[in-house]
Amino acid sequence: MNVPLTHLLTLAGGLFFIGIWCAVTRRNLIMVMLGIEIMLNAAALAFVGASLRWQQMEGQAVALFVLAIAAAEVSVGLALIICIYRRYRTLDPAKVQ
Amino acid sequence: MTLYSLLFYLLAIIILASTVMAVTRRNLVHAIIYLVVSFFGSAMLFYLLGAPFLAAIEVIIYAGAIMILFLFIVMMIDVDRHKERLFPIRQCLPAIIFGLVYAAVGLMVTFGHSGSKASMPIAVATPNAFGRFVFEHHWLAVEIVSLLLLVALIGALYLGRLKIEKSAAAGKETP
Amino acid sequence: MWIFGFIALLVKIGLVLGGLLFVAAYLVWVERKLLARLQVRLGPNRAGKFGLLQPIADSIKLLTKEDIVPEAADRVLFLIAPAIVAVTALLMFAVVPFGTELLIAGQVIPLVVSDLNVGLLYVFALSSLGVYGVALGGWASNSKFALLGGIRGAAQMISYELALGLSLVPVVMLARSFSLVEIVNAQADYPFVLVQPVSFIIFFIAAMAESKRIPFDLPEAENELGAGYHMEYSGMRFGLFFLGEYVHMQILGALLAVFFLGGWRGPLLPPVVWLTIKMILAALVMVWIRGTLPRLRYDQLMVIGWKVLIPAALINIVITGAFIVY
Repeated sequence: MNVPLTHLLTLAGGLFFIGIWCAVTRRNLIMVMLGIEIMLNAAALAFVGASLRWQQMEGQAVALFVLAIAAAEVSVGLALIICIYRRYRTLDPAKVQ
Repeated sequence: MTLYSLLFYLLAIIILASTVMAVTRRNLVHAIIYLVVSFFGSAMLFYLLGAPFLAAIEVIIYAGAIMILFLFIVMMIDVDRHKERLFPIRQCLPAIIFGLVYAAVGLMVTFGHSGSKASMPIAVATPNAFGRFVFEHHWLAVEIVSLLLLVALIGALYLGRLKIEKSAAAGKETP
Repeated sequence: MWIFGFIALLVKIGLVLGGLLFVAAYLVWVERKLLARLQVRLGPNRAGKFGLLQPIADSIKLLTKEDIVPEAADRVLFLIAPAIVAVTALLMFAVVPFGTELLIAGQVIPLVVSDLNVGLLYVFALSSLGVYGVALGGWASNSKFALLGGIRGAAQMISYELALGLSLVPVVMLARSFSLVEIVNAQADYPFVLVQPVSFIIFFIAAMAESKRIPFDLPEAENELGAGYHMEYSGMRFGLFFLGEYVHMQILGALLAVFFLGGWRGPLLPPVVWLTIKMILAALVMVWIRGTLPRLRYDQLMVIGWKVLIPAALINIVITGAFIVY
């Protein structure tokens, strides 16, 4: 594989940036959660790349835990979103007080 | 340009493009579908980077379970999707600040370390070796994560219950 | 000699796809005939002898029908959804082994399209992507019944996927591998159904729910929802949903054979024939069940999935683990 780690890190960084942009600027709770998912995925990508570069499986193990934590976070987050929607009839974080 | 690096750059373009499309969509279902494509691309990238187990898990958990949950929620609560203003100016300032700080740190880390410039070798972690490694070196972390999942399960159940009581109470008030 | 391997791969893919589509077409005929016999009818008997040309007539009809896209539908997603269902079902066969190795002109050709070391997870990944076809087909039609069918389908499939996955953990523990080839090899002495009958039953029920056939056909319940998620589809796009269902029946039979019945193993007959026999037998049992059982209610469906199958599968895993360790 002739790809330097820098390129992979740049890709992961780009993804993370898109995720942060989405989470901060979109005014819809579901899109905010999607932004967080993108960021977690970017982190996992960087970990797997580092794991390959230094031939250590630690990175892959951390990526596995990132996936598990993302699943846990989504289940609670979506339940909360449903609660918020039932209560306020909106998903705009600015209108939820 | 070997086949591997060609695949890498192709996948990188697909992932970036579909993620950008996802965050700029007004229709939430379209956003979710673009993100599924992006996660599927990352899964293939994982396979390319020698982590077949993680690639399969990524498709099963991210593309298969998490995104289906999102799709489910979006289909169930029909959000007023045309009212949202995309990227309001007020929100752009914090986004730019966050972005610049992050980009500066990221660039420093990425290009500051000499080890990251070398090209990556080809290696594959078989699921057997990976499972053995995880349970030998990180068994405590596995236990903690499983506990976390249990807590999340109970939390989601509790929130679901709360919702039923709320709507039942609301149902009594309205008529 | 990579050219030779490449050609062999193409030939294998072509044979598998052709075989799948052919068997899928005739499975429809078998199902209609058998169902008719169970209900004391005759079944298709006009096209050809015993109605044997019926599948060909049906496919010509589906291909030449007008392809209607509803005005209010989300056009792109509406067009993609049936393809997702059919493609994910067809791709699953890539990891199913249908024999050992073949020697042609000094070249060893393994009789499996691709022996992935995460083959079992690959099957699960594809089946979890197949949910999108159902959910999107329901959503993109922009019709109430279709949406209800799509939501029901997605809920049912993700619930039963859990039971499906957990029921296979003991098999992986016994075979010590995710690769389907290795799992078949591990059953050289005895098929796993003898040591894992509980897993076998859970897998069969959960897989039937995955393929949305009769006791579990709530997403397309004719008398409540019209036709559920594929209500607005016509012509070949409906045909693709239909094809997906019958290919799914075959993959279910093949996986049942690989995980529990020893795969292609069997006396006298060649391996491919044994795998086909096991596949067809599983499909026939499913037709029989379709002719016998009524449809479940929605709450019953969820109770069976979450309160019966998943706990049973978990207990089964613990017991198997204890047996392996001690």
